[in-house]
Amino acid sequence: MKKNKFVGSKILLVEDEETLAVGLEYNLNEEGYQVVWAQDGKQALDFFNTKEFDLIILDIMLPYYDGFEVARQVREKSPEIPILMLTARTHVDDKVHGLALGADDYMTKPFHLQELLLRVKGMLKRKMWYKEVTISQPVYCFGNNEINFANLKARAKGQEFQLTAHEAMTLKYLIENKGKIVSRKELLDKVWNITSEVETRTVDNFIVRLRKYFEPNPAQPIFIKSIRSAGYMFTDP
Amino acid sequence: MKKWHFLRHPVVIFVLAQLAWLSLVGIWIYWYISNYIIFDKVGDKISPQLVSKSANLITLLIGLFLLVAILLGMYLIFIYLNKQIKLAKLYDNFIGNITHELKSPLASIQLYLETMNMRDVPRSKQKEFISLMMQDANRLKYLINSILKISGLEQKKIYFNFEVCESESIVYTLIDNARQQFKLPQKAIQIIGSAPCQCVTDRDALKIAFDNLIDNATKYSADNVQLTIRLSCNLKKFIMEFTDQGIGISAKNQKDVFKKFHRIYDQNSPNVKGTGLGLYWVKEIIKYHGGKISVISAGKDSGSTFKIELPIYQTSKQRYINSLLKISLKNGLKRVEK
Repeated sequence: MKKNKFVGSKILLVEDEETLAVGLEYNLNEEGYQVVWAQDGKQALDFFNTKEFDLIILDIMLPYYDGFEVARQVREKSPEIPILMLTARTHVDDKVHGLALGADDYMTKPFHLQELLLRVKGMLKRKMWYKEVTISQPVYCFGNNEINFANLKARAKGQEFQLTAHEAMTLKYLIENKGKIVSRKELLDKVWNITSEVETRTVDNFIVRLRKYFEPNPAQPIFIKSIRSAGYMFTDP
Repeated sequence: MKKWHFLRHPVVIFVLAQLAWLSLVGIWIYWYISNYIIFDKVGDKISPQLVSKSANLITLLIGLFLLVAILLGMYLIFIYLNKQIKLAKLYDNFIGNITHELKSPLASIQLYLETMNMRDVPRSKQKEFISLMMQDANRLKYLINSILKISGLEQKKIYFNFEVCESESIVYTLIDNARQQFKLPQKAIQIIGSAPCQCVTDRDALKIAFDNLIDNATKYSADNVQLTIRLSCNLKKFIMEFTDQGIGISAKNQKDVFKKFHRIYDQNSPNVKGTGLGLYWVKEIIKYHGGKISVISAGKDSGSTFKIELPIYQTSKQRYINSLLKISLKNGLKRVEK
């Protein structure tokens, strides 16, 4: 296995099943991550409020506060921290609810260890890239729009609103490559860390949302243009 | 259109159907009576043989009787369907819980196997992992056995082994076993009171009931488990009261805790594991012993008391108890013959 460049990243593991948590902690430690284990929703929020973390692995069925509530409270304070939901609940409604609350990824138990470790690495990679590009230029303006990539707040059409982490990362990646064609596949790789479950249509849906937020006329975009059979291109006329 | 959504509720549909049905019958009776009055006045003049007052009255009475029977039938069908709908909802919850209970230990076993396959795990760690895997395998075994046994109990396909025993002695023995099984210190479970009487019990079944109650006391006590078992007896009953210092049960839930698949969802609960079968199983076991179980709790953080009453062998429910002993004897003989 290649050397992990995210060694030392701090992971908050929220899992009430002790037997599973011990194994996960061992494997994450072996990968070089620092792991803090919370056994219930209350403890998870206590740790989150008092310590700094780079990623959260979150179960849903937890004592006191469930995983959805933990994700909601975490997102209120930190819109950019990656959250991976790891749960036995396989119903599509749970998955949609989790992702809507701001989870970045969703895995169901039983899972494959290598897949979990790759997803964790992918999420940390995206977080690091986002952090690096945000430090250099946290606020970006185009047209009458203003976006603060540090707190994910945007102002457009006279209104202020919150972007999701994926929306902000998609936009950031397009802005970083201003004037260049970015393929859907590239966006999937950079923003979503491509998985079999995520299809290229997902990218199109995000672009539709971003155009609705920022384009004066979403049907005739001037900032985020579609390039036929190639992808998208950001321009700032 | 949301304000009309209440029309979809089964109770509203039932009431509206009943009103429609009664209105129809009302119109029919009105029509019948008004026609009858005309017929009564004119019938004699047209053909006197057509008018027979007694036959008409009998028809009316039979009609009303059938009407009441149909209404009653509809009401019973409605009650039955309502129960089925509630059960289906609980069953959905059960499937969700059982999925969690089955997948979590399975995920853990898979994780350790993949870890040992992927990494050079030191010998001491390997031992720890194997012990955790065995813990999970036992959890799965217990869960599957419970489901199969409850199903057998409901279909009366479980062979019980009832025998006459000293009430106090069986409680002390089973609680000692439970202390070891749940790794609880001596003072965590205290037995007080005395019950110098005999009752008819199946030791294994009673152990399942006790273990479930102790497991619940452990799961729903935030800190240290403190369970007191008070023993007593009167002329007819041997009484055991299991009092814990846990999070308590609200008055609303006290009625439902023994129902199949019922689970309490509470933000103050220190535990979320379970299938909603444990207390139902306990109730069925106690019922099979000819006894009953109930719960009292003063509410949140006030603990709960589960009261089990079993009939005393010599004085109460003799016919039922003797039949249990006979069945057990027969089953025992069958097993020996095999």
